Amino acid sequence: MFEVIGMMSPGGFSPLQEVREELLREASIEAGASGREKGRRDSGPARSLLVFFLGAEGFAVDLAHVRKVLRPARIARVSGTSPEVLGLMNCQGEVLCVLDLRRILSPGKETSPAAESEGKFIVVVQHGGKEAGFLVDAVRDVTELASSSLHPVLDSIDPSRGRLFEGTVSYGGQFVGLLSPSACLNP
Amino acid sequence: MTTGSVDLLVVDDGAALRGYDCRDVVRVEEVAGEPGGFLVRLGRLGSPREFGCREVLGSVTLSAREIRPIPEALRERITGEQPWAVGLTGREIYLLY
Repeated sequence: MFEVIGMMSPGGFSPLQEVREELLREASIEAGASGREKGRRDSGPARSLLVFFLGAEGFAVDLAHVRKVLRPARIARVSGTSPEVLGLMNCQGEVLCVLDLRRILSPGKETSPAAESEGKFIVVVQHGGKEAGFLVDAVRDVTELASSSLHPVLDSIDPSRGRLFEGTVSYGGQFVGLLSPSACLNP
Repeated sequence: MTTGSVDLLVVDDGAALRGYDCRDVVRVEEVAGEPGGFLVRLGRLGSPREFGCREVLGSVTLSAREIRPIPEALRERITGEQPWAVGLTGREIYLLY
């Protein structure tokens, strides 16, 4: 057993919250000075889609919401989170929350983050001021979407899963689900 | 120019590295009969609380440039105690409580 002695500032103890807010303020200024602030992306009139796979099942997400695609680095686990959280990753000096897209799409399935991130990709998606990286098995293509080729979500899909999609699109002779960035980012 | 920094007591909670402001730590006790179990008592700067962890790893000083806000996507998915920030060094990621 040992005791850690607290440090006393000249004026006495500062309120903890005040100190934390000051540190976060400084951190924010540092990030701006280093040019790490993210630019706002203009989605533009055309709709380009990033196509990726989880196993044999294809999915797409509007490229306007994709910030980058990465290979997973070391993902630090976080305790006390919902099951889809794989952890945090140092993404070129930024903290990225990595989510298990397979588990978001199929809640209840067990996955092991350390072993299963190997050889995969992380698709970093931004929407409404939120950002997260989604672990996927393979990134396949960028394709243009004609407005007529977006179909509604099939009625047979469970509504809790259906809310995660904007619709379905035809890609390479199969239908792939077009993910709703908003629904996937918000628990 | 960055002047702020925080001294953290770093512990392993079995899943992640947690950092507690050293100034807030009252005492760290080894839990009798539980090898590797420690109890961190906090409350010098705020309300008293305690936290059980697997291992006490030591201390680290983080500058403001090594501190990041909690990503919103994570904050919304934390079911337990909310960390106030993330510490990011070249080698480790810490959750700051």
